[in-house]
Amino acid sequence: MKPYQVLIFIACVMAGLATLCVVLPGRIALGATELKWPALTEVLGIQKTPDTIIPMDTIAQLDTLLTPDTVVQQEQTLSPAIVKADSIAPQKEDNCQLSTVNYQLSESDSRIYLSSFYASLSQSGKQVVRVLHYGDSQIEEDRMTQQIREALQDRYGGSGVGLMPLAQTIPSRTVKQQLHMNGRQIQPAQGPRRFIVYGPKRDRRDDGLYGVMGQVAVMNDSLVPGSEKLMAVCTPQDPKNRYSKWQVLADSAIQYSFSRDTVFLSGKGNVYGLSQESDTGMIVDNIPMRGCLGLVFTKMDSAQLADFYREQNVRLIILQFGGNAIPFNETPSTIQGIVRGLRKQVQYLRMLAPEASFLFIGPSDMLTQIDGVWQTYPMVPYMDRLLQQMAQDEQIAYFSLYRWMGGSGSMAKWQEAGLAGEDGIHFMRSGARKAGNAVAKWILEGIESE
Amino acid sequence: MDFLQYILAFNSESPLLFTQFYFWAFFALVYALFALLLSLPFGKGSGLGSPYKKLHLRNIYLMFVSWFFYYKTSGLFLLILAFVTLSDWIIAGRIKSAISHHKPQIAKGLLCLSVIIDLGLLAYFKYAYFFTNMVNDLFGTGFRVFDIFAYIGNGFAEAGRFSVDTIVLPVGISFYIFQVISYTVDVYRGRIQPVKNILDFGFYVSFFPQLVAGPIVRAEEFIPQLYKPFHLSRRVFGIAVFWILNGLAKKIIMSDFLAVNLIDRVFNNPLLFSGFENLFALFAYSLQVYADFSGYSDIAIGLAMLMGFYLPMNFNSPYKSQSPQEFWRRWHMSLGRWLKGYLYIPLGGNRKIGFGTYFWLSLIAFVSAALTNWWWQILVPFALFMLVVAVINSAPFRERWGTGFYKLLYSNLNSFITQVLGGLWHGASWNFIIWGGINGIGMIVEKIWRKMNWHLRFLSITVLTFGLMALDYFYALPVWRLFLVWSAIIWIGTAIRYVYWLITQDMTINCQLSIINSKLSKAWAILQTFTFITFTRLFFRSSSNLDPATANEVAWETARNMVNQIGGAWNNAIIPEFLWAYKYVVAMFVAGMLIHWLPTNWKRRYRLAFSAMPLWLMVIVVCLAIVVIYQFVTAEMQPFIYFQF
Repeated sequence: MKPYQVLIFIACVMAGLATLCVVLPGRIALGATELKWPALTEVLGIQKTPDTIIPMDTIAQLDTLLTPDTVVQQEQTLSPAIVKADSIAPQKEDNCQLSTVNYQLSESDSRIYLSSFYASLSQSGKQVVRVLHYGDSQIEEDRMTQQIREALQDRYGGSGVGLMPLAQTIPSRTVKQQLHMNGRQIQPAQGPRRFIVYGPKRDRRDDGLYGVMGQVAVMNDSLVPGSEKLMAVCTPQDPKNRYSKWQVLADSAIQYSFSRDTVFLSGKGNVYGLSQESDTGMIVDNIPMRGCLGLVFTKMDSAQLADFYREQNVRLIILQFGGNAIPFNETPSTIQGIVRGLRKQVQYLRMLAPEASFLFIGPSDMLTQIDGVWQTYPMVPYMDRLLQQMAQDEQIAYFSLYRWMGGSGSMAKWQEAGLAGEDGIHFMRSGARKAGNAVAKWILEGIESE
Repeated sequence: MDFLQYILAFNSESPLLFTQFYFWAFFALVYALFALLLSLPFGKGSGLGSPYKKLHLRNIYLMFVSWFFYYKTSGLFLLILAFVTLSDWIIAGRIKSAISHHKPQIAKGLLCLSVIIDLGLLAYFKYAYFFTNMVNDLFGTGFRVFDIFAYIGNGFAEAGRFSVDTIVLPVGISFYIFQVISYTVDVYRGRIQPVKNILDFGFYVSFFPQLVAGPIVRAEEFIPQLYKPFHLSRRVFGIAVFWILNGLAKKIIMSDFLAVNLIDRVFNNPLLFSGFENLFALFAYSLQVYADFSGYSDIAIGLAMLMGFYLPMNFNSPYKSQSPQEFWRRWHMSLGRWLKGYLYIPLGGNRKIGFGTYFWLSLIAFVSAALTNWWWQILVPFALFMLVVAVINSAPFRERWGTGFYKLLYSNLNSFITQVLGGLWHGASWNFIIWGGINGIGMIVEKIWRKMNWHLRFLSITVLTFGLMALDYFYALPVWRLFLVWSAIIWIGTAIRYVYWLITQDMTINCQLSIINSKLSKAWAILQTFTFITFTRLFFRSSSNLDPATANEVAWETARNMVNQIGGAWNNAIIPEFLWAYKYVVAMFVAGMLIHWLPTNWKRRYRLAFSAMPLWLMVIVVCLAIVVIYQFVTAEMQPFIYFQF
């Protein structure tokens, strides 16, 4: 073939594709499936933004007057601050100065709802002041909680990493666990039967007795009573996390003893968790609930929770949820439903822990591919604002992780900077450290400004 | 003005990629001028010059186009490309001259100079962080990298324009450096004549289809094509179009779709997923890496063909390999051939071991000791091993033992070194060295296994399986469980084949039974090799956006967490749920593997059928194929679903 013939072939292919761009731009329904093809302007880069799925319908039965439209508008009005935060995000962690730009404008007020917690800090020299950090997979492995714990313990004393499950199915960065049963080392999955309030149906139980961590290990569940003898070696990975006492949250039928980093357990019954802690000062517990929307607290036994919150002097409950709602809910109404559900959880927990203050940490920026382009899930800013509104209505503190990161698209910058993973959702360890430090700093700054 | 800048200027965020529209518009324009140039009536009486001049002009044109392509991709690193082009062209010319004047020492010296310059540049840009970190770790120093080129650049431009604190890796440097080395060495070996015109040579070094991701074209394969006129048969044209479409489909459907919807998220955070999901993602990653890399190579080969050039085949269905050794003959073949020709053979191949072998083995042992901090645990056994090798390599022993043994020994030692250094070529971090090392060890173990008789094979796998069983019982670490399961599978396969061998060794076997046995053995070997290669991939992935020290840490942690999950968080109950929820991803993986494993003849047939299509039909098929591929670009993402709690 001659080169000009090849050229004609290339031209024909391009002309064919261009014709399709003119004739069939956008989405074409083909039965149950949908065919997509770009418009010419999109191909040539004249119109780069693909369709967004932000719904334009108005929302009548809303707790707030927010709509996705107004959220987008508000985003735009915050643009100077967002730009500033953007410029910070891509830098490496060590060079970063934590930005408080956005929420100084609109959210610093919410820290007044932490007043009761701030006041309780004065007790930390004499007794334990406990902080529970419930969250989704973003806080697994003690991410973010670790920084909050370090900041509070540095200033107000206390030691130990706090609560951990009997069988650590998800490793922690701060405590390494080895499990032995009847004299031989086993893997966590080979340990006692577990029930998890945020797990699938097969892993749940009817009586609601999951303990404060939302998961319970049942020793000698189906065996001859007393046949399982467990030994858990839980070694803190950092000397800073040395502790002065063990605590075992278990039924009275469970016998236990300790030797340094090892706890020995026998008997038949529920074990709700182990805890390494100090006699006084701050104890900050990391309680990750993988895949959880945060709507599970009302399924947990109220008396059990209330007893723990009261006896252990829980003075701050941090709830970090919302992210798991985003990929599955594309309409404002479903997001509103979830936020309503979260509001009920907050009310329920406040009833059980009347002495505690509450801080809600909203979802981070999250990316998905829409028409082949990575961009923020359209519902993230909307959910963030609804959660903020909910927090304001319920008079609890709110930290917008999304806006602190830099708003829409900031996750991509975090990825470039090696702070977030390729999935566009989870932080890398360095990113989690940065976010944890930001939350810790924000909480502590509130004390100073009191 | 902005539009012109967008089209012409370097922008690190929009490099020219085969998967983007901009590249194809660029290629169409390049081809239009290319066609115009080739249609000019060069020759006697035309007034334009000789036909050679036309070829020369074509080469110059494609060189400048390639330089523009590289500039769009890498900006001022074009100067590095230009420098090695100039340097190797001059030195190769001097080498030829020294050889002609019977001055072999000078020729050798010049060859060394060229290799030092080329590898020095590669080492500086690619391995500066790696070596700096290693020195800092070993000696507790606090050295930091310094970008000397940025420093010089700042002298010419305004101060501070280029950052001196970071060294950016120029795109494709590993490929074109290997090409220029092959040119100079081939000239030294007398396999090719030096290229007279530097612009022709520049074209060989920078030919844009293969510039940034291979195939690595050896000088002796490509230089002769510089002087051949354009020729493209109708069938080859069809094959070229097929390769391009095939490459695009592999890259976008098999690679990107699988990566975005499953693989990236599992590798990013293995602990969020169950053992089965991790294992599935690992196997899918094997397919992804192949589809990604070979997809690019296919496109490069197709594009070059359209311009009348032939690049070497780079992948030959590597997951059909029946042994790790065969795998390396089918995977990234242009690199394999390069390493064989310019590293393995010079080390001695299976003929000898010399200073090079001892030097590299010692260096690998030293680096391994430094990496693990197991100084005496590694260096003492290594020293003993080297002593044994030196003794048995002495003349009295050599006379006593047959050449077969020594061939195996030499070839194993030299190929191990080749594998480790080949691993380092893929990336400047420990995980790639480990990856290369595991491949080297796998190759050696498989060779030894094949030399064993059936009694010994059965005995050794039985001992290994029982040993792992004991380890798993007393120390239930996920890694033992993983090895135990794999070993048990191999044990079952070996036991069946052992029994078959015991029964049939003294019998005349039915021909059909023999064929079935042979096919089953082949399938078994393919599956075992694929599994082995897949597990080496645990160490093959490294994040490019992290600093090297963190990248190392993350890569190691990812591998460890994946092993933990595969060996420790297995839950059969969730397998059906996962397969259903990720049905499109699973279907793509299965389809990809089935296509990969199609018989070679079938593939050849449908390739030929495509190339024989009438052109009008081919246009329609190409358009439809692109529409289908685009559906995968824009497909909605598989949402996150957790199965493991």
